[in-house]
Amino acid sequence: MERYDIAVIGTGPAGLEAAITAKVRNKSVLLLGSKGSSDKVAKAHTIQNYLGLPEVSGDKMAQAFLDHAKGMGITITEDKVNAVYSMGQYFAIQCHGGDYEASSVIIAAGMTAMKPFPGEMENLGRGVSYCATCDAALYKGRTAIILAYGKEDEEEAEFLAERAENVTYIPQYEYDGKLGGNIIVKKDIKPVSIEQVADGMQLTAEDGTFVADGIFILRQQIAPSQLVPGLAMDGNHVQVDRQMATNIPGLFAAGDITGTPYQYIKAAGEGNVAALSAVSYLNSLKNK
Amino acid sequence: MVKKITTAEFNSMDKSGVSVLDFNATWCGPCKMLAPVLEEVSEEMAGQANFYSIDTDENPDLAREYGIMNIPALVVLKDGQKVDMNVGFAPKDALKEFVSKNI
Repeated sequence: MERYDIAVIGTGPAGLEAAITAKVRNKSVLLLGSKGSSDKVAKAHTIQNYLGLPEVSGDKMAQAFLDHAKGMGITITEDKVNAVYSMGQYFAIQCHGGDYEASSVIIAAGMTAMKPFPGEMENLGRGVSYCATCDAALYKGRTAIILAYGKEDEEEAEFLAERAENVTYIPQYEYDGKLGGNIIVKKDIKPVSIEQVADGMQLTAEDGTFVADGIFILRQQIAPSQLVPGLAMDGNHVQVDRQMATNIPGLFAAGDITGTPYQYIKAAGEGNVAALSAVSYLNSLKNK
Repeated sequence: MVKKITTAEFNSMDKSGVSVLDFNATWCGPCKMLAPVLEEVSEEMAGQANFYSIDTDENPDLAREYGIMNIPALVVLKDGQKVDMNVGFAPKDALKEFVSKNI
């Protein structure tokens, strides 16, 4: 497998600037994210304080960013990252479409508004899971609840239902699927909290409770500490120092994910610092 | 070294001292990632703890006995008694710290 020097996750201002700087420093770059840059940039009405681009609209700014990256020969690999594993000498990046390897990683995935349910984090790995396909075999003859957030989760439900005794499927999106058999679909349920009870895990909703051996929460967005196991957080943000280094050697973060102020030029600046720090890290590996 | 064992081998083996059980499965991505990192940890902690790998597909009873609901899961035993558990992948330093604090 090709091992990139630097993998950048995210295509907002932080990620694009990191990729551009890495390219200037002649490193091989894997840029993962959406081809259309960040939604948050593209949907902004006007930005007044970005140096060199006065009174620019969000979509024009996003286009200027993308044109700059494209002009430098940077391509965006459109894939969803499931997890980044620190393997010691390198990072393994598991995506929806395949696996990648890189010597260093810059996380510039933006800020997610996701808030865990009360009881969710406490029971993670003890009855609460984020990956139905990962843990399906452990549910042979057992029952499970799936909190689903997208149509693609229906496939995971079917996979789990092949092994589990029954699956309660609770869609949090406009469901018009055809799940059946031992999958019970419960629509219009608003989950509130999760707790451990005598006979398994209980999901409390606004209008009733559900009990099963385990609960799967299949959100589209993953918290940074789930994306990178072992990553130290500072509240809802990734903990970084002035070099944009995280607690994991070789892993850097930039942009909104590191904290406020959520400003485009701050994000781009941090992307620049993170890329230069990653270059120093790569040099230190060589000199070992 | 991380030694692969079956339920029968586990039941009859000497469990004195600290044992680390890695519950995994061949189809589990994070388990595959964890295995080489745990191997390195086991080399560096040789003599302090014994490391075992248990396939949950082949040994469902053992997985059930230890309340494994998600994998990979590391269970630490002290003289055969479960004292701690860590679920999911963790980088090498975190793994070493997790095992060390239970010695």
